Amino acid sequence: MTIVEKETGNAHRAEISRVSDYELTSLSRERYFFDWTTEQRNEVYKLHKTTSSEALGLISINRIQSEWRIHIRLLTVSKENKGNNKIFDRIAGNLIAYISKLALRDYGELACVSLKPKSKLIEHYITTYHMAARGNLLSLEVPEILNLVNEYDDE
Amino acid sequence: MTMNNSTDPEYAVDSRYSSEEVQKADSVALMKARLERMENLPKEELMKAKLMQLKLKMTDYVENPVYDQRNYFLEFLKIYVGIIYQNKRDFAKDIQVTPVELSQVLNNHRKPKDSFLKKLIVHSERVYEHVCPFSGKVWLEVYHQDQMSKTMNEEAIWRPDIEKQVTLSEPFTPYKK
Repeated sequence: MTIVEKETGNAHRAEISRVSDYELTSLSRERYFFDWTTEQRNEVYKLHKTTSSEALGLISINRIQSEWRIHIRLLTVSKENKGNNKIFDRIAGNLIAYISKLALRDYGELACVSLKPKSKLIEHYITTYHMAARGNLLSLEVPEILNLVNEYDDE
Repeated sequence: MTMNNSTDPEYAVDSRYSSEEVQKADSVALMKARLERMENLPKEELMKAKLMQLKLKMTDYVENPVYDQRNYFLEFLKIYVGIIYQNKRDFAKDIQVTPVELSQVLNNHRKPKDSFLKKLIVHSERVYEHVCPFSGKVWLEVYHQDQMSKTMNEEAIWRPDIEKQVTLSEPFTPYKK
């Protein structure tokens, strides 16, 4: 997968790795907004450049097997990658696409990824990631979930 | 949405449920909407999702091999044929092998010939052109991973006999640690 350096347009190789409980303790609120140690009972993944283990974005999830669904609990890019002065683009997109892959691998045609963002963020996720509004949730299902995985699959 | 440095829709997204009750209520509404949608989805979309799932499972197996007694190649092949064809004979026809040969391969009564594997590679690459990026060589990787797994799982059985059949006529000095 690749992330794009906003200033130059250059693509950089990136990968997503599981974050260990130990590593969670080193993720500062200042840079990653949340207290990530509260996620020790959940799966947390980080996106990082292939040349560095430093997290550029983080996501934590909850697998709801009985509903063939993965719910995104927390999602953030690192502080230097937010807003108009961000260094890299495509961080959150790659993280959501990765979780979508996990859902597709485990649940096939029933796969679903859900998110419950604050109302002011809803439009962004519908427009950018083609999520569907389902009551209080946003969800990605077939076929949009496949399209998103393909959009971010540049292997 | 206008974005500045303090508001970014991808920064600090808290999507946790406030309570179990809220989660349950949201789940019911979501499931209802999903089931309604699933009923109206074209068959082709469901087929594509199943093929994507198969690709992800094969890739996962190659990247994180499991050393057990299962024949993953055959499991994946049966899934592949089952997704696309209602009748296995049609797959045999499409790759120009006899139904008997296909049946023997699928039932593990014979190993797939080289030509069978090559046809499977080409067939799947043509199918996946409509689904997602795909390299047919993943079939070979799965197949060889299975062979390696089988050989190593049975090591305790074959090694004693094979040890007796192997000698080293060239003298070597042991390496130093």
